[in-house]
Amino acid sequence: MRTRTSQVSRRAAPILRVDPVACEGVGICTHLAPDVVTVDSWGYPIITERELEGRDLAQAERAVSGCPRRAMFLDQNL
Amino acid sequence: MTRALHVVRPGEGDSAPGAAAPLAPLAPIGVLDSGVRFALVGSELSAGATPQGLGDHVRVFGARPSAVGSHGAELLDAITTIGLTGRGGGHFPLARKWRTALAAGGGGTVVVNGAESESCSAKDAALLQLRPHLVLDGAVSAAETMAARSVVVWLHDGASMTRLSVEQALAERREAGVVDPPIVVRSGPSHYLTGESSAVVQALSGGPALPAFRRVPSAVSGVDGRPTLVSNVETFARTALAARTGVGAYRPATLVTVVGRRDRLVLDVPPSATFDDLVGIEWSREHGVPAAALLGGYGGTWVTWSQIGGLPVHEPALRAEGHTLGPGIVVPLPAGACGLAETARIVDYLASSSARQCGPCMFGLRAVADLVGQLAEGSARRSDLARLRRFAGEVDGRGGCSHPDGAVRLVTTALHTFSADVRQHVHRHRCLHAGTAPVVPVPSGA
Repeated sequence: MRTRTSQVSRRAAPILRVDPVACEGVGICTHLAPDVVTVDSWGYPIITERELEGRDLAQAERAVSGCPRRAMFLDQNL
Repeated sequence: MTRALHVVRPGEGDSAPGAAAPLAPLAPIGVLDSGVRFALVGSELSAGATPQGLGDHVRVFGARPSAVGSHGAELLDAITTIGLTGRGGGHFPLARKWRTALAAGGGGTVVVNGAESESCSAKDAALLQLRPHLVLDGAVSAAETMAARSVVVWLHDGASMTRLSVEQALAERREAGVVDPPIVVRSGPSHYLTGESSAVVQALSGGPALPAFRRVPSAVSGVDGRPTLVSNVETFARTALAARTGVGAYRPATLVTVVGRRDRLVLDVPPSATFDDLVGIEWSREHGVPAAALLGGYGGTWVTWSQIGGLPVHEPALRAEGHTLGPGIVVPLPAGACGLAETARIVDYLASSSARQCGPCMFGLRAVADLVGQLAEGSARRSDLARLRRFAGEVDGRGGCSHPDGAVRLVTTALHTFSADVRQHVHRHRCLHAGTAPVVPVPSGA
């Protein structure tokens, strides 16, 4: 059986991403993951696209689970 | 150098190839919406600029070859070798999209995206009204190749002439006993974002016609969770041509809408034609040599005419120079017009057209639009210009769809291309081109 992920390349480590439609700019993520998430002029999170490891990854995981809008996720697909 | 482009006027038959028609003003075609004229420049499509019924279609192009099973694999190979790309603006390799949908399993939907939201563009309406069977053939071949269950033609609610043309074509096919998968026409509200592909997928899945953030591409999981191929009208017309010619006899060409103050002219342009040729047809006679051009429409890029005039109207060649045709729109800017004022009107419309779902687009794009407005009217200071650049950077790439990115591209290329005007507006609070009539058509009261 063909699997759906068979053609998708994987990153070595995940990146943090935000669903901007779901995000309401609550801002908890910037406190939970200050080294990974910054905030724009209107209070919405800016995430630099980079693969996360160690302390940064732990912060990102906290931001994912702490977001009240469930707008953040870790993505390992290229 | 001017190359004689062969122009087929509405109501004319296909005149002898190579015999350039006299450059008399073209008459509007009745079936098309206001102010659109259709000219065809020596290519497969140029079989007379009149609506083509099924009989004419088959006589000119031949019957549609099957794309079932191994035939589909051959078609996929052909579009891979030809390098066919999407004509909705992104120029994504079509074969890669098809392969993704194939790998995700069949049973999905093929969507002909004819919700041409841009007031600058007329090519999709022109094709659906003049060559509906060619577009439908391409969609059916795509559906056969990826074992899709159905085909949807997606339009704006207000596109009544286009809808009529497609419905008539479908009725003709049924009467003639053409074997097609189920093909339905669906439409969404006449909003700028109705044609955005994630909005199409969401609407066809029963939701609102608004962009949606997709964690997996719709080619993998789209309408009702099935593999969904959303492509532009022209992409399917090219597919239908490629299915008939194969690789060897395929003649690459691009549909381009050339926008003037009064009308839009749709041209089928071979890769040998340059931008100078494009306006040489009749635009220059009225306006002289353009000062600049907007390539790709509202979410496109401003370039000076000296940068592109001699370049071929051919996406791969343009990409090599850092340009893109986007969805095939060229708006030449006459020397007397103000590019900043044009940009201000467009970006204001784009900000008003935001789906208001994502913060950076809802707040940031509005802030960008207001600052460009101040810049255009001469009330912006140097610090405003710095703020504009910062905001533009913050908005870029931050929406669920690429709507804000296009607006930012428009603004940043305007600041670069019209830098002399920017200086005049900021330092002297005056416009170099005050009092000129608007060039780019932009809907009012979005």
